[in-house]
Amino acid sequence: MKLSKKKSFIGSLFGHQESGLILVIILMTLGLTLYGAAKPVESRQEIILPENAQVILLDADGVAHEPGTIARTKIATYRVESESNSTDYSASKINKFDSTTGTLYARNIINPFLNKSNLVLVTKDASFFAIIAVGMTGVIILAGIDLSVGSIYGLSAIVGAMAVQSFGPDASWMLVVPVALLVCIAVGTLCGFANGAMSVGLGVHPFVITLGMMAALRGLTVVIPQEFYGTQSIGGFPSSFTTGFFKAEFYGVYPVPVIIMILTAIAGWFVLSRTVFGRRIFAIGGNEVAAKYAGIPVGKVKILVYTITGALCGLSACAYLGYYGAAETNAGNAYELQVIAATVIGGASLMGGRGTVIGAVLGAIIIQLINNTLIIFEVDTSYNQIVMGAAIIIAVVIDQTKQRIQARRA
Amino acid sequence: MRSPSFIFKTSAALSLSALLLTGCSKSETEQAASTDTNASTNVEEAVYRIGVIAKSNSNPVFQAAKNGAMEAGKRLSNQLNDARIEILWQTPPMEDAQVQAQYVEQLVSSGVDGIAISCTDANLLTGALKAAVDKGVVVVTFDSDAPESGRMAYYGVDDFEAGKEVMRQLATVMGSEGKVAVLTGNPAATNLQARVNGVVEQAKEYEGISAPEVFSFMPETATEAAAKMQQVQTANPDITGWALVGGWPLYTDNALDGIYENAKIVSMDPLPLPLEYAKKGQVQVLVGQPYFGWGEKSVEMIVDKLHFDRSPKSDMVFAKFDIVTSDNASEFAENWKYWLGEE
Repeated sequence: MKLSKKKSFIGSLFGHQESGLILVIILMTLGLTLYGAAKPVESRQEIILPENAQVILLDADGVAHEPGTIARTKIATYRVESESNSTDYSASKINKFDSTTGTLYARNIINPFLNKSNLVLVTKDASFFAIIAVGMTGVIILAGIDLSVGSIYGLSAIVGAMAVQSFGPDASWMLVVPVALLVCIAVGTLCGFANGAMSVGLGVHPFVITLGMMAALRGLTVVIPQEFYGTQSIGGFPSSFTTGFFKAEFYGVYPVPVIIMILTAIAGWFVLSRTVFGRRIFAIGGNEVAAKYAGIPVGKVKILVYTITGALCGLSACAYLGYYGAAETNAGNAYELQVIAATVIGGASLMGGRGTVIGAVLGAIIIQLINNTLIIFEVDTSYNQIVMGAAIIIAVVIDQTKQRIQARRA
Repeated sequence: MRSPSFIFKTSAALSLSALLLTGCSKSETEQAASTDTNASTNVEEAVYRIGVIAKSNSNPVFQAAKNGAMEAGKRLSNQLNDARIEILWQTPPMEDAQVQAQYVEQLVSSGVDGIAISCTDANLLTGALKAAVDKGVVVVTFDSDAPESGRMAYYGVDDFEAGKEVMRQLATVMGSEGKVAVLTGNPAATNLQARVNGVVEQAKEYEGISAPEVFSFMPETATEAAAKMQQVQTANPDITGWALVGGWPLYTDNALDGIYENAKIVSMDPLPLPLEYAKKGQVQVLVGQPYFGWGEKSVEMIVDKLHFDRSPKSDMVFAKFDIVTSDNASEFAENWKYWLGEE
């Protein structure tokens, strides 16, 4: 009994659509953790000094030196003198002393990959386009494409920024956050609806429609701040919107965009796998003609999928606005490539009928893990695109090979 | 689709493993923060890791900045026997402030000591740079500043002064009289606005020169810029001087046909292609920025702060302009071979 149960678990482990992605993430995580453990780096942490304390720099002979007159490697002791006592810190335990701010930093040896700050950063960086990838999964399952997601993201961010900036610096998050969400999502929804309606209504391939929208919306993203503000970017938001909400700190990390990504992924998974609407998307992507004969309102479903994708672009743009505290005209430039790459790496077929939301999110995380790997390995970012391109091709080739093997077995 | 329970189980196992591993990778901070009663010893060799983030990898001026930073890193490692400098080049393939902010955060998280950055958008990068400064990272901006970020210093030219210098040179070659047109790119770009203001302000000094008319174009490509110049010159044949606050049209061949015969031209940015126009005498003067120095000086300032705890006297460190004419264009072109690592 036990053996069969074990077999079924292993079968489940390797038979699941996302198992390959999870395996890749596990291997990358393990490799980076081991590399980081073998080659830890020195970081720093501020030492809280007593009030009015003075830091004296002593060389190996105990002679005191003024800051700026002795090299860091010649300092043997950092003596902290306050009114009540004097404390010596050995130079081997100190990272540096900054005389400009009067701050003393302790040495902090860290694993450059496996520290909570880095792990949250990787998922946070992935979250902005992973949220959009949830919508793109639906589009690609439909055998469609949306090249305008980066421009929708940029336009939603710019219009949202204008709305957020109109609030005073002391505005409450309970007012600013809903308004920002409403404006960003409304702009995204409108653009997404336009994509879907034009594509279905005019009978033009979505590649052409969304290509045109990509250019037109990017133009608007540049023109609007230029006309209204005479600048390239809009910032100066209430702190309740940025550090008070979207960049709120929890135990030294900023997880809000990650939480939004997780919630979006769960909602996306539910819609695609547990609703009639989700099944209709797969049916249309599998065979559109058959879906029509089965009585599925193909046009309506398509318009709704593009509209939802637009709305998710708006949601992601709002998280971007709150996290970075500004929007600029280049926001989301070339995001469509990252979003499509995440979806494809996640197992979606550009021929339609296949794809998962969880896969797309894991694909986005893999893309960010690759970026993070290059930073940790100290590889010049000029190589980023080469590695990324290779990763996409390898992922698709492996996936297709897996499909062929499964088809033969069937 | 199958139940997500498998994914949740696997995710939970992964999270647990990560947490355990995080717990195992014990930080030395607590030990370090405690007082040390053992004999004090100095550090034999200091390793300084400096991240350099330019605006885009595809712009040759930033390749020069990259080589400047690398060169400074090697030189200082040799000069300071007790310090090793590692340069981490982290620059997006094309201008993207969000990616720059992500690079800043990731570099800080990986424990770098310093960051030199040319900010694509000051508004967007201020938060990330502030956080870096708060964590003890020495930040220097070059080419394009983020003044509210708390960075130690900015290194580059004063854009307003750059505009004035362009106009000063143009007035000289025009004999202080005629009609001037100014070519600029994105009118919303703050550095370009400052240069245009500098040109307009300096033009007031010359009685024989009427108030310059400003022409902008978008997107900032060489062909757009060349087309704009041709259209404006054709429509306004009385223009006798062009002040180019960026070198855009000069990145294509024959961009000035029909223009250089009728007007004197002074431009920013003596890059390899614009230098050919200067050699041919179609552009009278090119005003240069310290492209190689952006990387070189930024790294020098950061190392000076990290190793000796020395800050520059002012947080605005302005560089001098390079003035290039047909006389010294060939000599200046040799610099590029070195700056781009070709020799």
